[in-house]
Amino acid sequence: MMRTRLLSIALFLALIVIWEFGTRLSGVSALVIPAPSAVLVVLWNGLTQGFLWPHIWVTGVETLLGFALGCLIGFVVGIVLGESDRLRRIVWPYILASQVVPKLALGPIFIIWFGFGMTSTVIITALICFFPLLENTLSGTQLATPEKRDLFRMLGATRLQTLFQLKIPTGLPVIMAGVRVAIVLALVGAVVGEFIGGSEGLGASIIAAQGMMDTTLMFALFIVITMMGLAFYQLTILLEKWLLRGRNKGTTL
Amino acid sequence: MSTEAPFISMEQVSYAYAGSAAVVRSIDWTVPTGEFHSLIGRSGCGKTTLLKLAAGLLHPSSGVVRLQGDVVDAPSRHVGFVFQTPSLLEWLTVLDNVLLPVSLRGGVTPDDRNLAMELLELVGIGAHADRYPQHLSGGQQSRAALARALVTSPPALLMDEPFAALDAITREELQDDLLRLTKLRNSTVLFITHDIAEAVYLSDRVAVMEHGSMSYTTAIDLAGRRDGETRYAPSFSATCRQIRSAMSTPLPETA
Repeated sequence: MMRTRLLSIALFLALIVIWEFGTRLSGVSALVIPAPSAVLVVLWNGLTQGFLWPHIWVTGVETLLGFALGCLIGFVVGIVLGESDRLRRIVWPYILASQVVPKLALGPIFIIWFGFGMTSTVIITALICFFPLLENTLSGTQLATPEKRDLFRMLGATRLQTLFQLKIPTGLPVIMAGVRVAIVLALVGAVVGEFIGGSEGLGASIIAAQGMMDTTLMFALFIVITMMGLAFYQLTILLEKWLLRGRNKGTTL
Repeated sequence: MSTEAPFISMEQVSYAYAGSAAVVRSIDWTVPTGEFHSLIGRSGCGKTTLLKLAAGLLHPSSGVVRLQGDVVDAPSRHVGFVFQTPSLLEWLTVLDNVLLPVSLRGGVTPDDRNLAMELLELVGIGAHADRYPQHLSGGQQSRAALARALVTSPPALLMDEPFAALDAITREELQDDLLRLTKLRNSTVLFITHDIAEAVYLSDRVAVMEHGSMSYTTAIDLAGRRDGETRYAPSFSATCRQIRSAMSTPLPETA
């Protein structure tokens, strides 16, 4: 385990070294591929002098708001459709169609409706997060075995009790898998949403850096976005571990 | 509610799943209060369906199921059901699983907790009360499921091959536990199994079910208390053989 981790770190360092010397020795312009040392300097300055923080804040807020909104709606709609076969058959084709439409292509329309800035980006992000949660909630809540459903019937459980004490807990691992997918998509949604309609945020900064041909800054922004993505992902893993604590620990004796 | 009525009674009960032939055909059966009856039969003979009819989980296509004289049209809280698999909720501790029937009916009182702990001790897994079911062995899970069925002290138990997945020794231990607990509480039990020896060991009466109807029934008289020796007594083997031969008899076509 330890050895594998060390090898993984060694691979990362080796790639950085190759990249550093590759850019220095080959004489490729920093406009095309900047050296990692230059990227780190820009990143460091951006963080210490503070000009990156407002953008990190904006993108972070957009990601989390869109994520929360999309997950909440997806979860609730998933529950409702899971409880009503009829409703599901009626609305499913439309939900599917709404997901087949590339959501980023809806960006310009949202800008007309909601204006430039945060609202449009949050809505795009929410739309992207909605579907994985809907689908995983819908399929997760159907996973309770017939025996366990019969058990709840035998015990005289109400529909709500069966939902909250059987179906949702049974589906929780699947629902949380949807949450993990959604958080990654949320950051992509927020960044690309800013490409289209943002004046602030990391995505907007990438567009601004492109305008100034500042490749080094763009690379620094990629690193920031990657770090944010990893951090958000880790948070969902922690949330999942907390929610599923006590389950699947160890094996049977 | 009349007290003289047998606890469970079925009158001409039939059941067919939509679009297929009847799986339960004109069953007449009564289980008097305090008796332990077993139904044996091959897989697919309709015995699980019959049990679900008795439980009120299914409604007979024709005929009537009564509990203490009242027609069953929905699951009754006077009946505990033990399923083929332990069906424990893996996000609850063993103790909370046992308390589930109580918590679904409202608050869990300290008395309920004490009773649940007592039951866990009785079935021999008191030490595991705070663990999660997936950390227990199959036998321990079955014991927890039994404790859960008993926690509301239902006067009747319906059991669907609850020990089928267990090894022979664990199964014998659980059979003894079950007998002890049901005698203690004077419970009425309808027990389903495909194991003839299990049926004979546990029951006051055994019925053989084939192709949806009862093909043979017999009262079991093992003279007195059942214990480890009973299983090896000549009368025990003779009874098993008698039932086995009843099962091999080809049935006349009923369809």
